[in-house]
Amino acid sequence: MAERTVLRKDQLEISLHNEKKLIKEGTIKDDNPLDLSEPFRDLCSACRRGDLKVCQEKITEGVNVNARDLYDYTPLILASLCGHYEVARLLLESGALCERDTFQGERCLYNALNDRIRNLLLEYDYSKSTDPLQPLAAHLSSLLTRESPVTTDIEVTAAEESLFLHKFVLAARSPYFRGKLSAAPESTTWKLPNSIAPEAFSAAIKYLYLGEPPRELRAGPGTGFTESEVFAGIDKIAKYLEIESLMDSILDSGDRRRARQRRTTELARGRDQLEHWFRENVLKHKVIIDTSQVDKVRWDRNNAIFADVLLRSDELPEEAEETGEAQKSTLFPVHRAILLRSEFFQAMFMSSFREAHITDNLHIIDVDCSPDVLEIILTFLYTERADFPLEVAVDVLFAADMLFIEKLKTKAAVVISTLGSEGMSQANAAKTHAKDEDDIDIYSIIRAAWLTRVQRLEEFAARFLAYRLEAHIDSPEFAELIQELRFDDAGLNELMDEKALPNGEEAQSEDVAKITDGVEALDVSKSSVGQGPGREIRTLDGAVVEDEFSEDAMNYEILMGKLEALLEKLNLDA
Amino acid sequence: MAAMRARHKIRAPRRGLNAAKTDDFDSLWTVLSSSLTEIHTKNASTLSFEELYRNAYRIVLMMRGDDLYESVKKLEKDWLRDTVQKRITDSISSSLVRAQESTDIQDQSEERRAAGEKFMGVLKEAWEDHQLCMGMITDVLMYMDRIISTDKSKPSIYIVSMGLFRDYVLRAPVRPDSPITVADVLESTVLFMISLERVGHIIERPLIRHCISMLEGLYESEKEEGEKLYLSTFEPAFIKTSKEFYQAEGRRLLEIGDATTFCRISSQRITEEQERCLSTLAMMTEPKVLEVLDNELIRKNIDEVVMLEGTGVRHMLDHNLLEGLRSVYSLNARVDPKKDSLARVVNKRIVELGKEINASSIVVAQAAQPTKDAKDAKDAGTEKKEKGKEKEKPVNQQTLSAIQWVDDILALKRQFDTVWEQSFLSDQGLQSSIMASFANFINMNPRSSEYLSLFFDENLKKGIKGKTESEVDTLLDNGITLLRYIKDKDLFETYYKKHLSRRLLMKRSASTDAERQMISKMKMEVGNQFTQRIEAMFKDMTVSEDLTANYKSHIARSADPDQKPVDLEINVLTSTMWPMEIMANTKDGVVQLPCIFPREIENLKQSFEKFYLDKHSGRKLSWQAGMGTADIRATFKRSNGKVQKHEINVSTYMMVILLLFNDLPDGKSLSFEEIEERTRIPKNDLIRNLQSLALVAKTRILRKSPMSREINPADRFSFNHEFQSPFVKVRIGVVAGAKVEDQEQRKETEKKMADERGGSIEAAIVRIMKQRKKLTHSQLMTETLTQLSTRFVPDVSMVKKRIESLIDREYLERLSEEPPTYGYVA
Repeated sequence: MAERTVLRKDQLEISLHNEKKLIKEGTIKDDNPLDLSEPFRDLCSACRRGDLKVCQEKITEGVNVNARDLYDYTPLILASLCGHYEVARLLLESGALCERDTFQGERCLYNALNDRIRNLLLEYDYSKSTDPLQPLAAHLSSLLTRESPVTTDIEVTAAEESLFLHKFVLAARSPYFRGKLSAAPESTTWKLPNSIAPEAFSAAIKYLYLGEPPRELRAGPGTGFTESEVFAGIDKIAKYLEIESLMDSILDSGDRRRARQRRTTELARGRDQLEHWFRENVLKHKVIIDTSQVDKVRWDRNNAIFADVLLRSDELPEEAEETGEAQKSTLFPVHRAILLRSEFFQAMFMSSFREAHITDNLHIIDVDCSPDVLEIILTFLYTERADFPLEVAVDVLFAADMLFIEKLKTKAAVVISTLGSEGMSQANAAKTHAKDEDDIDIYSIIRAAWLTRVQRLEEFAARFLAYRLEAHIDSPEFAELIQELRFDDAGLNELMDEKALPNGEEAQSEDVAKITDGVEALDVSKSSVGQGPGREIRTLDGAVVEDEFSEDAMNYEILMGKLEALLEKLNLDA
Repeated sequence: MAAMRARHKIRAPRRGLNAAKTDDFDSLWTVLSSSLTEIHTKNASTLSFEELYRNAYRIVLMMRGDDLYESVKKLEKDWLRDTVQKRITDSISSSLVRAQESTDIQDQSEERRAAGEKFMGVLKEAWEDHQLCMGMITDVLMYMDRIISTDKSKPSIYIVSMGLFRDYVLRAPVRPDSPITVADVLESTVLFMISLERVGHIIERPLIRHCISMLEGLYESEKEEGEKLYLSTFEPAFIKTSKEFYQAEGRRLLEIGDATTFCRISSQRITEEQERCLSTLAMMTEPKVLEVLDNELIRKNIDEVVMLEGTGVRHMLDHNLLEGLRSVYSLNARVDPKKDSLARVVNKRIVELGKEINASSIVVAQAAQPTKDAKDAKDAGTEKKEKGKEKEKPVNQQTLSAIQWVDDILALKRQFDTVWEQSFLSDQGLQSSIMASFANFINMNPRSSEYLSLFFDENLKKGIKGKTESEVDTLLDNGITLLRYIKDKDLFETYYKKHLSRRLLMKRSASTDAERQMISKMKMEVGNQFTQRIEAMFKDMTVSEDLTANYKSHIARSADPDQKPVDLEINVLTSTMWPMEIMANTKDGVVQLPCIFPREIENLKQSFEKFYLDKHSGRKLSWQAGMGTADIRATFKRSNGKVQKHEINVSTYMMVILLLFNDLPDGKSLSFEEIEERTRIPKNDLIRNLQSLALVAKTRILRKSPMSREINPADRFSFNHEFQSPFVKVRIGVVAGAKVEDQEQRKETEKKMADERGGSIEAAIVRIMKQRKKLTHSQLMTETLTQLSTRFVPDVSMVKKRIESLIDREYLERLSEEPPTYGYVA
């Protein structure tokens, strides 16, 4: 769009009116349907307040993040209007749309409280793809052209053209293949009727692999088929393979918005089919067996669910002891084509190590995590779904880090930092701190953050500690943390020296921030430290003061004193 | 899942982290290191990727990533130093080491070649193994790499191991005590192979390519910006040997002394080097080695090659060897965007050829001259027929030589145009230099303007008859091209006008369309101002046509029906627009009295004058009988009593002469002097007209006595009733004055030219000064020259003179002497 033409107000109103009409007629879906339900109202109010936890909970519950309330506000507009950067980011990551040239999108941009949020919104413009299912679709369709490692297990031929495909994709997406393949799972070739035009055939296959619908069909002179023949062919193959919506997906590609909506629905359907298949087959066939027996397991390459590799996860011996039974191992029969989404598996299958060799019996590959975490990971790889509770989040984080699944890692970090921020809705952070202790082992989180290099989590933990500095400053774990920091990062001392100019409170609070952070999340913590103690009426040692500011000052002095004592004890120069 | 555990707390991760505290780095590393060695010994297929990865991962989580990094580095170093290095040095035969020291490449070439190939084969294999193994190891250590290279900004283990290969394999001495390294041997071996290829042997290209790509894959240092080994070591050496080779090659080829061979071999070398860079070395070397080639082989030698006696460019031009010229051109273009060497020779040749054309035209012209002189010397008694022929000859020859000249130049131009198009690829620079050369020699011929105008004259009169429109177009275009070269365009204009006026007045022009076309072409080429007067001439002609018609109807209405009507067709010419010599009624300062017309004609003249001056008062008509023609009906009374009538088309002067005989009784005669006295026709014209009437056998209407070839004042003329002609209508042409000017006429034209130019120069100076008010001498000179350059190139001394004269006449004044500055006097 080289030149953006600005619509006059009347033109804008006309186009909005037309849009409404189309929506009423049902031609296009409303991007932002009116939603008056209770959960959505909760989400909206959480967005106003900046309550990450509630937002995350509501999103996980399945509230439509793109709906609008009585006053045409969408959650994203609210969050950006109220200046909650984190909430806005969460919403965008969860698929909230901020598309230029739409009424709601422009409104959102226009409303943004500050440039930081505005830039965030622009980053997530539709062109950058907000559809959360897009990575899965991209991976699936890339399988069609991927040359190594070889993961295909069936050759499907129509007329002259033959394609090398994956049985599990065919079975999951096409009822026709599901039936045929369940009858003869070991077949390695398949012939479709010769009458199907190659163009139609490849369009159908592409559709099955969640590829983008073709912009133009290759028809006309030179291809030997007319356009109508190709369409007829597509119609035919769609009926044959029992994938009715294929035709629509191709016909609708003209209008950008309708195409996008169609694609979103299509992707969701595809995902659901895959998920269904995954649950019905992969998970149904998982084997739980005594660890000592694992080596005896033999899976033939020709199996009913077309798995070509087994992933194994062991319970820890201690857990086995807890339950008093023999140590168990879980085996998941899975497909390498899907595992390739992880860089770890990709490197593995492309190398010339043992795992990459094709043998009659499937390889059993150990994955160093608990069975339920492995299941979460597999679910994510197959379906892009990542809904897991807080308590396994750190495990998932580590596993995702080990297997190089960046998106899942981010997801885990989001889960921890949003759900963990319960009560962090600033106002009552300090009040409720006594309760938090039980919920979150912040020290292991901060260590996990360091180890897995998730900055977002480091920021979270630093802020978390900053709010509760009073509660943590005396604990031995805190001292240990500070000490670790020192060994971890020798440069920190220098940095502290530079910053620690005796410039009164401001400089000192920076110091506090620096130490508790251990990282560069400076501004965030500074402001939060500035806020945190200010809410209390009483100073930390119990003395009552009249003035809030002098109260702040006193609190700082107390904190600073404690901090200095701590640093001294650890032989650090603050 | 949540139900599985009742704890509502983010747990510390169960694994890895907790285990990290127990420091079993050593045991993990033992497992890893033995596996890595297995990889090197190609036993990887039994190893489990997962297991190796997990070990490495655990070590990193233990915060021992750096130790792992260093350990792997050491393992690789040991492996390369102890195993690979030995394998390589063993493959280097002592002959290769010796060859390193001696410089003679032909020495034992076969042996050296075999040894070299063996060595490169081993090296290539070692390199490929190393890459493969390191690829696998990098895969296994993926997690470590990710942490170390992102957090600690260290180069990845792969890059490090490549550096180790460079240090412990390539830079290892070939023998324990030798200063020569493996890389040195590789370099000299590859260079040796290339030198073999350059003298025509076939070598193992893919093998060399592999070794080169190894050098390309390695860097001087681990940093990203480090220079490739290929660039830092091999390429300079290669460039150096290439330079030596091409210096020698250049000398060798010059000794052969054949330009075509030189070009052929050079082009061949260029393709060879390109191909070599593509298939054996690296693409990025191509520009560099070609630059060496350009410098050493071409730039240093091209001058000599171009000048080579007998085979050089001159030879090619003369024999139209387009192919050869093209290769000379492309070679020269490689080293010099202006192609000076080539241009120089081409220009020199053009000027030479042009001078030949000029010379031959002068020879033809002079050949004509002596005949004329010789003829003068001949006594009058020579036979008449012969006389008539010879009389025509010099005229034709002069014209012919002019046309010949133009044709020759056009032929030459065509020849060079072909060369330019086909061999010089329509190069802009060469085009202008060729044009300059043409202009150069054309302007060397003082008569070029006249010749060109004659060429047009001839073609517009006769040449274009029976030609198609496009042919005429090309013909004129060719002429116009030459006009472009002519410096003194005003001179050309003068001649053109002269010739044009003759064509117009005597109705000799073959096609008015062609004339107009010609004018519009000239307008495009030289500009509006140039053609203004010529157009005015055409305008006069059309106005005159109307005038004639009007006059006729005027007569028809008013004339006395009794009087025998005389048809008058008149051309009224604007005196300033037409050439001077037609309009002049003075000759050599003596005022020429107008010719006395016979009575009938005089009446007619007066009647027209009255008619004309009624319409345009204040104008003066002066009658130029010299250019007109008349149709008269003559009655010949044969001696046998028969009466024969002829319609005779004659010039106005002849008519005047012949009408004298109307009043004369039969048998009487008039002397030349009597005729001159009665008609007041200028003597020259009278002689020419009488010549036509009395001397040319076919049109002898007057008898002359005595019968001689010359017209003498004492000769007497009488009407010839015995005139015989098979046609009723007879046309009697005036014996044309020589079309090409003789020396005298030339001088006159030049004088006129000089006057006219003086005027133009003065006008230009005044125009400039009026605008600028104040200018230094040099500035004024340049401006004047630029203003006039479209018309002619004025003589500097002439401009100076004109400035002086203007100062005298108080148009300008001297403002200061140093620097000389003039001011405009209003």
